[in-house]
Amino acid sequence: MSRSHPLAILLAIALLVAAACTTTGTPGASGSASPSASGGGQAGTLVIYKDVSDLISLDPAVVYEFSGTLIVHNAYETLVQFQGSDLSTLKPGLATKWETKDAGSNWQISFDLRSGAKFASGNAVTADDVVYSIQRAIKLNKSPAFLFTDIAQLKPESVAANGANSVVITLPKTASAQGLLSILTFTIGSIVDSKEVKTHETAGDFGSGWLLEHSAGSGPYIIDHWTKATEVQLKANPNASAKPVLSSILVKHVPESTNQQFALERGDADVAVDLSPQQIAAEQGKQGVTTLKADSLQLVYVGMNATVKPLENVKVREAMRTAIDYNGIVNDLLKGNAKKVQGIVPAGLAGHNADTPFQQDITKAKSLLAEAGQDKGFSLELLVPTGPAPGGTQWSDVAAKLQADWGKIGVTVTIKQTTQAELLTTYRAQRGQLVLILWGPDFPDPDANAGPFTDYAAKSIAFRNGWNDASIADKAKKAALITDPTARNAAYKEITDYVLHNGPYAVLYQPSQNFGLRSNVKGFAWNPMAYADFWAISK
Amino acid sequence: MRFVTYLARRVVGIAAVMVGVSIITFAISHVVPADPAVAALGDHATPAQIVEFRHQYGLDRPLVDQYVLYVEGILHGDLGTSIRTRRAVADDLRDFFPATLELSLSALLIALLLGLPAGVWSAVRRGGIPDQVVRVVILAGGSLPIFWLGLIVIGVGYFQLGWFPGGGRIDAFVAPPPTRTGLYVVDSILAGDLDALSSSLRHLILPAVTLGYFSTALVARMTRASMLESLGQDYIRTARAKGLRERVVVWRHALRNALIPTVTILGLTFASLLSGAVLTETIFSWPGLGRYATASAVSLDFPAVMGVTLLAAVAYPLANLVVDIAYFWLDPRIQRGG
Repeated sequence: MSRSHPLAILLAIALLVAAACTTTGTPGASGSASPSASGGGQAGTLVIYKDVSDLISLDPAVVYEFSGTLIVHNAYETLVQFQGSDLSTLKPGLATKWETKDAGSNWQISFDLRSGAKFASGNAVTADDVVYSIQRAIKLNKSPAFLFTDIAQLKPESVAANGANSVVITLPKTASAQGLLSILTFTIGSIVDSKEVKTHETAGDFGSGWLLEHSAGSGPYIIDHWTKATEVQLKANPNASAKPVLSSILVKHVPESTNQQFALERGDADVAVDLSPQQIAAEQGKQGVTTLKADSLQLVYVGMNATVKPLENVKVREAMRTAIDYNGIVNDLLKGNAKKVQGIVPAGLAGHNADTPFQQDITKAKSLLAEAGQDKGFSLELLVPTGPAPGGTQWSDVAAKLQADWGKIGVTVTIKQTTQAELLTTYRAQRGQLVLILWGPDFPDPDANAGPFTDYAAKSIAFRNGWNDASIADKAKKAALITDPTARNAAYKEITDYVLHNGPYAVLYQPSQNFGLRSNVKGFAWNPMAYADFWAISK
Repeated sequence: MRFVTYLARRVVGIAAVMVGVSIITFAISHVVPADPAVAALGDHATPAQIVEFRHQYGLDRPLVDQYVLYVEGILHGDLGTSIRTRRAVADDLRDFFPATLELSLSALLIALLLGLPAGVWSAVRRGGIPDQVVRVVILAGGSLPIFWLGLIVIGVGYFQLGWFPGGGRIDAFVAPPPTRTGLYVVDSILAGDLDALSSSLRHLILPAVTLGYFSTALVARMTRASMLESLGQDYIRTARAKGLRERVVVWRHALRNALIPTVTILGLTFASLLSGAVLTETIFSWPGLGRYATASAVSLDFPAVMGVTLLAAVAYPLANLVVDIAYFWLDPRIQRGG
């Protein structure tokens, strides 16, 4: 072996390392070693550190994942919208005015489009674009399509242009007009530039292959690039009506929350999305960093299969609910990073029932079991997902707490922990006994929870727990169709009160979501539907 | 001629391994008591959507049919479509494999450049302070969990000192070099792009050190042990008696003979680095195959899991092949058929 070889290799490496140490990068650039005093990234760019491993598409008719929703929401406009973190007041979007008419057996909702609205391409937004976008979502029939086809019962012909600047959507009276308006605020209601998209159509894919990683909207930003498993960058749309404060948004894929925390403290990240409650607590009071606590619409609950003995007995289920130490879960286990909610409609949505009648009462729970003839106790299996639970603890910790609580009334619970996919396969087939899991509404309306939790025939949550109560399912269906908000809320109060004591559920908590922000970041408001309006953010 | 025959036998062996691995992986991944359609579509999917999805991905067919279809696809160069990313698995592998390859090669380079001299040094100075130091380092390398080490490395190198970036392959504001090999460092050199070279090297150092530490310790330990054995042999005494300089005795006579077990370890280590970099990739936001494999496994994404497994199944015999070729070079007796 010649001695010149290792020397040559060492020399080459030394040169490479020297090249690495040359400061040729952009000062303060994200991920660079040099901290930037003004926060992450370049001036004018908001750098968000987030685990975006759920990102599979940026096509608004396909996207149904949290990360995709966040991006797409900022690249497109919808006919109507919710702003900031509010989910109760519909605001104009591409439609300046909308009106719901009773047309016999149908509802007809007409929308007047904002004049002068333009897509990023410069094309004008027309009624044809609206018709194309909604029909496209229905015909593509991807994950979120059921919101149009099942919930709103739309067909491609349900949407029609009425001149160049007006659109009419017709839906049967068995569907809720209010529900459709809520759905239209979500990413599936995004209006795409039909002229642009049509130029990218291949093999009848409605341009889906192209929209996977490009955008064709009129939103405040356009998608500049998506490097898989690395980052998505948005740039300001020069034709947007709402001019964004920041010219660019960079969402960096950082799966490890410690890394997010480091970057936030060093100023490389402006926003850290996935910090645990412990990390958030550690950040409080640190210079240059603030934290934000926001709501989610998720509910963590235990499903009790009513086809499994003795859970078919309503008193046994009430005893199970009564034995749980909800305050302990929220305050000790989750360190207050959740709301104590016990109804099936989360706080933040219309129809939320703020009553929390349950808190651990062992004597009462035992007497309920005795009334049900189960005073000797019984054994059941609790299915639990693996990994972290919403709110910042582990699913296994919540399960262990429940196991201990139920043990106090003589109910022996065996915890079986599996991947969520395996758990759902069992749960969906009605084969679970006790199942610890979460639910988030598909659209911001009480019907998105009241339906699945009450309607056995919908083969959703009520079915999975073998709870077939036709009268309450019927009431929930009727409530969805009520147009008067006061009457609707009253109907949901009655439904949620009934489910609270008769349903096969023990709703444990509604988790909060925490963010770490650089203190110079202003205007960051998290919508519980898992998005933020980037255009309103400055730094 | 002997070498050609040997090579041909090896290639046939690799093909046989791939068939075996594909059958086993396919069988195992399909006995998991969970539905990939449910995993892909989630909690809210309607039963009709589940049925359609299963049909679309052929999950409603008998297992044997699914396997035959899969193999037919492979023979046509089609590894199937990922259930999770909805992209061709081959495209996904093409995107993610180079990142892992770059990281693994760098880790291997570190193992070679540090582990080998450390092992030799330690053996030559047996019992001395250098030997003690190397042995402690080796012990630590073999026992520190990689996620812990990664967090410490990033905590010091990035967070405390600020010498290196905190993750990713390249600065967000530096354009990656045009893809030729997919290895950013190599592509940057090929493109003559100093910005990209500098940025990608700086991003590479911490994860490569983290991933390479275990291998470095392994190589050092193996080299030390075989060097100790070599140094006690008669031919070393003869070489010294001939009056050769100690440096020549150690590096040319002893090391060459001691290298064979080290090379074996290097080959296996490289293959395991390729398939086992997941923790390092997670900590350093490295967009590689390890994270892809884990995410695919969790979502029961059979085509992707199969693709990654087959790739690993090729990597191991290939690494062994390289090792065997190195034997030919290192040990003349093998060439002579001795």
